[in-house]
Amino acid sequence: MNEVPVTLWVNGQTYAVRVSPRKLLSDVIREDIGLTGTHVGCEHGVCGACTVWVDDRPTRSCLMFAIQAEGHAVTTIEALAQHGQLNVLQQALHEEHGLQCGFCTPGIVMTMEAYLHEHPNPTVDDIRDALSGNLCRCTGYQNIVAGVQKAARVFAQNSSGATSAAGNESTHLSEGGREYV
Amino acid sequence: MSDAVLDSAVHHQTFTAIGQSMPRVEDYRLLTGTAKYLDDIEVPHALHATFVRSPYAHARIFRIQTDQAMAVPGVVAVVTGQDLARWTQPARMAPPIEGLFPMEMTTLPIDKVRFDGDPVACVVAADRYTAEDAAELVMVEYEVLPAVTDMFAAAEEGTPLVDETLSSNLVSHQTYAKGNVAGRFAEADVIVEATFSQHRQTHVPMETRGCVAVWDDGRQHLTFYIGTQVPHPMRTTLAARMGLKETQVNVISPDIGGAFGQKIALYREELTVAALARELHRPIRWREDRMENLRAASHAREDFVKTRAAVTKDGRILALHADLFSDFGAYSFFPANYMIRVVAMLLPGPYKIQDYSYEVKVALTNKCPAGPMRAPMAIASWVTEGTIDAVARKLKLDPVEVRRINMLKQDDLPYLTATTELYEDITPRETLDRAVHSFDYHVRRKEQERLRVQGKYRGIGICSVIESTTYGSEFYRKAGISGTGHEAAWVRIEPTGVVNASAGIMGSGQGYETVMTQAVADGLGCNPHDVAIHLGNTLLAPYGMGSRGSRGAVAGVGTTFLAAQQARIKVLAIAAHLLKLRSSKDLQLTDGQVVLETDGQWRPTGLNLRDIAQTAYLNPLALPDGMEPGIEAHVAYDPPAMTYSNSTHICEVEVHLDTGVISVGPYLVVEDAGTMLNPQLVEGQLLGATALGIGGVLFEHVVYDENGQNLTASLMDYLLPTAVETPEIQMIHMGTPNHRTPAGIKGMSEGGVMGAIGAVCNAVSDALSPLGIVVEQQPLSPSYIKSLVKKASKTAR
Ligand code: FES
Ligand code: FES
Repeated sequence: MNEVPVTLWVNGQTYAVRVSPRKLLSDVIREDIGLTGTHVGCEHGVCGACTVWVDDRPTRSCLMFAIQAEGHAVTTIEALAQHGQLNVLQQALHEEHGLQCGFCTPGIVMTMEAYLHEHPNPTVDDIRDALSGNLCRCTGYQNIVAGVQKAARVFAQNSSGATSAAGNESTHLSEGGREYV
Repeated sequence: MSDAVLDSAVHHQTFTAIGQSMPRVEDYRLLTGTAKYLDDIEVPHALHATFVRSPYAHARIFRIQTDQAMAVPGVVAVVTGQDLARWTQPARMAPPIEGLFPMEMTTLPIDKVRFDGDPVACVVAADRYTAEDAAELVMVEYEVLPAVTDMFAAAEEGTPLVDETLSSNLVSHQTYAKGNVAGRFAEADVIVEATFSQHRQTHVPMETRGCVAVWDDGRQHLTFYIGTQVPHPMRTTLAARMGLKETQVNVISPDIGGAFGQKIALYREELTVAALARELHRPIRWREDRMENLRAASHAREDFVKTRAAVTKDGRILALHADLFSDFGAYSFFPANYMIRVVAMLLPGPYKIQDYSYEVKVALTNKCPAGPMRAPMAIASWVTEGTIDAVARKLKLDPVEVRRINMLKQDDLPYLTATTELYEDITPRETLDRAVHSFDYHVRRKEQERLRVQGKYRGIGICSVIESTTYGSEFYRKAGISGTGHEAAWVRIEPTGVVNASAGIMGSGQGYETVMTQAVADGLGCNPHDVAIHLGNTLLAPYGMGSRGSRGAVAGVGTTFLAAQQARIKVLAIAAHLLKLRSSKDLQLTDGQVVLETDGQWRPTGLNLRDIAQTAYLNPLALPDGMEPGIEAHVAYDPPAMTYSNSTHICEVEVHLDTGVISVGPYLVVEDAGTMLNPQLVEGQLLGATALGIGGVLFEHVVYDENGQNLTASLMDYLLPTAVETPEIQMIHMGTPNHRTPAGIKGMSEGGVMGAIGAVCNAVSDALSPLGIVVEQQPLSPSYIKSLVKKASKTAR
């Protein structure tokens, strides 16, 4: 199939690629742009593993063609940790053991990070509802819920709601020098 | 490894790192999207493979026309079973087990297909999109044969044969008897019968299967990337089937997005990809889509059990007989009796039943082949505990009382079961009592009565689990299955005093790198920050049996602990020499510092692990006479024939009669997994296993129609539990160490599945008992529940 030029704006950078018009956004992000943190678990819109933000809205990248993303800002999991430091939600999931194999994790982080921005004070039932579009086969969800709750608490404490900097609740896991709490 | 090392490992009591909820070292890469799963590995110029699959459950292959597909630009090859037969060896499954017929399969089917989704051809193209387009153009002419979809019918005379080299679809049939079962039945006051029918399910790891094969023609060497639980056995099998030496193959397992037993066998697609890479002299990759995964990877759990118990009128079980039947699907990737045999072995459970007999049959059908799925013996606890509940119902006794009357107590241990399994260091009575107490069982019973008057159907279910975790070589020998239970590990202290370590196990989410780090830190006496664990590369890791069952903890981490202890012996010997001490007996390595005991006090010596390592590598002349330079320990360890964990699950459910919907919770698990390597990870495993069990009972179901068409090949049809349906689970730990294993580890991670199935099913039967309903089959779907209620109200009228 003929390839067409597409310009994508991903994590604040411009990528000019040539792809077939039917190529999924998930595949282009992974194969043509080389950001493999976005995972593909079903390719039919059920599992949520491929969730990215398109203009800050969580979107299943397996249900979109890359050409449809032209002119929009795409954000992937790779953009969340800054300077080798996990963000508040990532850190909370780490502390609460909210991930095992980690395959579902990027999709869950992208979904719940966006959710917490709009719902700073969720109940456990709210969190479970918001999470219900993301499948996890390993954890039984309980520790993911605990992690999201913890992140919500840290956001509330930092009340500004800024999520790019990590909270000060506890030691951080960072690249290279690992810390154990 | 010397006996002294094992002995000190078993009796090692003070831990600093083991037993801590150390946050996982794996997490950073997984949370930031920088982990490398199979499909994230970039291989330049790799071609993509895709498979043409049979739309029929059972059909003869007449002709495969590939020219149209070959004509698609970008297509490099289209190959069939005939081609693969020239390049690879067939797989023969023929363990010398009485009553088990040998089976053989080619790499891709040649004459006929045996299930909906059976791969018949492979298309290789420049990219996946093109390969899939071309696969649609491969024309296969079939003659459709009658499909065998029901295991009971399959075993009957005159049914079409799934495997025409056999004389019957009944591929395995064994009987067993211990004690005087007939005599006990003659003495019984009552005979209680119960049936249990479990439905077909599948693993659904969030990452599907896949592989990348890179053939180096100059070196005649294959590098095979694949998410596998068992890197070394995978290498052995792959080399053999390709006619290569094991020196010509390296298996590398990247991060795995869940496995649950589905990533053990060498599948036919994977072998095809490896063979094609060699034939085409091009790197080839394959990743299946979700539909293929649900339809053609591996299925599990389709078991049927009927029990008969001989019981006294006060509820004592004198004897038990069980008839077991299992649907094995179309091909043999494992010995056909492998999984159901363990169910039969475990059925007496935590109860004193010495008179026990069973008959176990396994049939082939035109369905996806069966394989072990997290707790392959999952049905066992439901059967045992469901039988106990049936006894209680029949005699109008409290189910807890019937359990107590029959259950093993500490005085009975060690206990040799009717199936010659040795139970030691287990606490079934303790977990039961604790569960009943902590759950306010008696208060809830009263509440249940009260609610029933208001038309609310609540039920309480209890399931005590005896979980076989680590299978030692002796177990395999007894079972007549080839394979061993040992594991191997190495620990190497590098010149700067940091530590690399490896073992043959491969993780798929369990957190092995973390618990192995803890084990090395404690076994050696160093800081966990200085330890790095390397798994999954067969050139790096020692040959081990990989990850299956719940052997990771005892076999994998236990062996690593032993290797670290072995390394410590050398470290301390060098330290003693440098300190001019006669022996190292008063020395210890703590947090990387060498300390000396004088007058009951540990005092610093000024030496640390780095100093010792520098000496060992860079100043060998300063070492004790005759000692080799370097510090490296390599240990192999064979665990006891079997280790057991135990637990009691107790939960409440409410059944909504109008909709058939079941809500589960509260839910409590009291478990005893021995020494916990990392309590947070133990809880994580327990939560995951319990959720998987609950999902299986309530939602998940592989459905075939009468023609053998798979009706559940998308995640919209095969329903996994979400965060909304999965209940909150409370946990209590007992922590009774196993006295034979390193650090008292027992292993766990499958028992949660077993307990959940039994507890939820028993609770639903309890809830519906006023209507005279007992659930005898899963899944407990709303339509099944409604049909039971409807039938019951008809009979009542
Ligand atoms: S891969 Fe997109 S929802 Fe599953
Ligand atoms: S952590 Fe494995 S699927 Fe969620």
